[in-house]
Amino acid sequence: MKEVIYEVKGVSKRYGSVVALDGASLKLHAGEVVGLVGDNGAGKSTLVKVLSGAHMPDGGQIELDGKQVSWSSPREALDAGIETLYQDSGLAPHLTVSKNVFLGREITKRGLLGKLGFLDSKAMEEKAHSELERVGIAVPASNRSVSQLSGGQRQAVAIGRAVAWARKVIILDEPTNHLGARQAGEVLQVIKEAKKKGLGVIFISHTLPHVLEVTDRIVVLRLGKVVRDAPTSEFTGDTLVGTITGTIQTIPEEDA
Amino acid sequence: MKKNYFKKAVALAGAAAFAIGLAGCAAEEEAVVAPTTGDTAVVAEDLTIAFVMGAESDPFFQAMKLGAEEEAAAQGVTLIWQGDPSNYSPETQIPIVDAVLAQQPDGLVLIPTDPTALQASVAKAVAAGIAVANVDTRVGDLSDVLTFITGDNEDGGAKAAEAIANAIGYTDGETYEVVIGLTSATATTNVARKEGFESTIAANYPGINIVDVAYSESNPEKAATNVNNWLTKYPDLDGIFAIDGTNASGAAAALESKGLVGQVALVGYDAYPDNVAKIEAGIFTALIAQDPAAEARLAIQTLVDYLRNGTAPANAEVVIPNVTLDANTSAADLVKYTYVAN
Amino acid sequence: MSSSQQPNLRLERFKAVAGNQNSILLSVLIALAIVFTLAEPKFFSVATAGNILTDWGSIVLLAAGQTLVIISGGIDLSVGGTLAISGVTSAWVMSTVLGFDITTSGSDAYPPLLVGGLVAIGTGLLVGLINAILITKLRIVPFVATLSTMGATLGFAIIISNGMPIGGPNDFSLISPINPTWMPLSWAVIGVIIVVTAVGLFLHKSRFGLHTYAIGSNSFAARAAGINVERHLTKVYALAGALAGLAGFYVYLRLGAGSPSSGVMRELDAIAAVVIGGASLMGGIGRMMGTIIGALILFTVQSGLIMAGVAPDWKKVVVAVLIAAAVAAQTLRPQNRAR
Repeated sequence: MKEVIYEVKGVSKRYGSVVALDGASLKLHAGEVVGLVGDNGAGKSTLVKVLSGAHMPDGGQIELDGKQVSWSSPREALDAGIETLYQDSGLAPHLTVSKNVFLGREITKRGLLGKLGFLDSKAMEEKAHSELERVGIAVPASNRSVSQLSGGQRQAVAIGRAVAWARKVIILDEPTNHLGARQAGEVLQVIKEAKKKGLGVIFISHTLPHVLEVTDRIVVLRLGKVVRDAPTSEFTGDTLVGTITGTIQTIPEEDA
Repeated sequence: MKKNYFKKAVALAGAAAFAIGLAGCAAEEEAVVAPTTGDTAVVAEDLTIAFVMGAESDPFFQAMKLGAEEEAAAQGVTLIWQGDPSNYSPETQIPIVDAVLAQQPDGLVLIPTDPTALQASVAKAVAAGIAVANVDTRVGDLSDVLTFITGDNEDGGAKAAEAIANAIGYTDGETYEVVIGLTSATATTNVARKEGFESTIAANYPGINIVDVAYSESNPEKAATNVNNWLTKYPDLDGIFAIDGTNASGAAAALESKGLVGQVALVGYDAYPDNVAKIEAGIFTALIAQDPAAEARLAIQTLVDYLRNGTAPANAEVVIPNVTLDANTSAADLVKYTYVAN
Repeated sequence: MSSSQQPNLRLERFKAVAGNQNSILLSVLIALAIVFTLAEPKFFSVATAGNILTDWGSIVLLAAGQTLVIISGGIDLSVGGTLAISGVTSAWVMSTVLGFDITTSGSDAYPPLLVGGLVAIGTGLLVGLINAILITKLRIVPFVATLSTMGATLGFAIIISNGMPIGGPNDFSLISPINPTWMPLSWAVIGVIIVVTAVGLFLHKSRFGLHTYAIGSNSFAARAAGINVERHLTKVYALAGALAGLAGFYVYLRLGAGSPSSGVMRELDAIAAVVIGGASLMGGIGRMMGTIIGALILFTVQSGLIMAGVAPDWKKVVVAVLIAAAVAAQTLRPQNRAR
């Protein structure tokens, strides 16, 4: 196995009296796809927010490349090479595809205008198009507004953006949601490509066949705790469902 | 009173601001003027006169306050000056009157913000043995009120008509075009001044045609807009009657920017310092001024007379005429009638 | 993933409508001008154009800032109050502090006016920053936060001025049409056009503008993309405040005085201009050119009704119809139906 690139150790997060995460741990190796599954309210979204820098955990540690880190904003995680695709809300619908791809990392014009923050829209359009193509996503004209795209196309843009920018880790929260079979297949293909490039991928999904198909390892969350962390080969569809719902007893593994 | 729109907006917004505790700026003011000048020998007993006005922010009441303070000092009585910072309404005034009555003054000068809503407050004061005077506005039933002193807005409108006719060199047989800049169609001062103006024109100057009116909604920039458009529509316009301070400011600015100062007669209202300065500059042909300070002085004088000597005034209702300020007014009078600046 | 053909058709239709949005607004403007000219032939004149542009100058400054705020998904009700207090502080500094009264005119007035202009912009900037703190630090919704600063600014304007206009130095030629027979623009209006154009360029061509749209479109996505949303909104409200301060100075130039009542209800005119110009109060949508023409429409209606001798209450009715039409056009636009 390759080296661990991203790791959380015993992180906790509570919202008022609600304990969303209770000492959860997760390891991600380079070139590995880890599936993160669990019922609604198991703490998946909270863990995603901790991993992406959107929320600070109340306790526990985060390590990137073996060094302890602490994100005070998504910007810091992005700058460190960690990209996140949020469920359903990752794009600004009124902006074009290319502006969404470059949001927060705009290309500015050369010289004085660039210093004033004036954008090189043409360069962004061309580059957005080529970057998305590079990661295997054929997107309609990149000067189109995202709100003009179908659900599948939007999801493709969001994934393409995450993969294009990710240098280390990519976190995908329900990327196949609302997609048809063919489009979902294309997403899974993109994930496999990312893995080949040596990125670590965290794949969160309710669609268990997708999880079983694309992941190397599966981490099961229940009530804010990791209840199972094992290679995907150890699961079948039935045992995975049982583990998620708690009908199959598990011993939480502190160290996978 | 004047500026109803403006006050409502300020009051609404102000209420919100106070609710969040932002504008702790405009706290109610209580100015207690001790009898400092000892040149009156008649210090028989220590009298206290309460004065509850409409809205502190209105220059009209600022001028009134000055007159009240002067007179209280001259008479050797203690003055309690109270009123809402900016809201001209019975909702805010009634509790202020209640609070003032609890201080047991000997006399109360009240500017009722509503003729019916404040009637009970007057009754309450009289029941407590407090003599009551009304100034500027009145309660519906004056039987409990010792005296009611007011300015005459209709007379002010008539004076404006005279001033315009004079300025344009009115000759019988000629026709003239005049416009009136109003704040709103319903403000009572606007209505009274307009009536006085129109009836005087109809009676004495039939050649003057009031060709248009428009409303500034208390905004001087809108008043300027109205005048700009009139000057385009009526290239031979002879005169403008700007019915209050807001319209006066806007109309003066419009004439200046169009370079028509002196070519179109402008009669304004309200002796704001800025407007008075523009009489000298020839921008205003004339300015009609109320005399709020005189109203306040007379009210306090009447109350003190009554409380000390038991003499009731000969006339229950006293009307103090508006005055015309123009290039011939003496410098001393200009200062006297100018609403206080600070 | 390939694109399907069906949304392309929709795209073409969208482009046709969006591209024509300014032409629709201009057509409305021209239609209004024709109607008013029929009602009052003198309406069709350089003088009228000058009158309309003079009115337009102050509101378009408020509306330019309001456009940014509305695109960012907020609202600024304090711009009218900011206009008033900025004009008053500016006049107060020039007359009371520096000692120039209304007798200082022509080019003698330029030095104090320069100071006054800076004071006005600074006052507006300060109010904008207070709005920003209330909204981004204290997490008060923009409507309530700016409603309270609206009250506070109007109140302070009265306190500083005792409710009366403060006269000061002025040069009325700055605010008068350059040539009454052929040039309706005044130097002040030309200045406003430069400022508003610059703000428009920043909105549509710069990172600042892109982030403003992104926050109004989806603030979560903007944050996830690494944008510091609070800091950006601070800039937006501060800029809107500074523009309102500049508008206060413009009105000072126009009146030759700082008047505490000059801001009354002006925020509503500014919001009306922005909405007629096609911006969405939901955020993410709006164009500076739309706002510019929207404000022109507003004052064409105002001048036209005054000149036609129509009761001013009709202005409210006409503006209401225009706003309703603009909002209806927006909800029918395919971009919004697609969501």
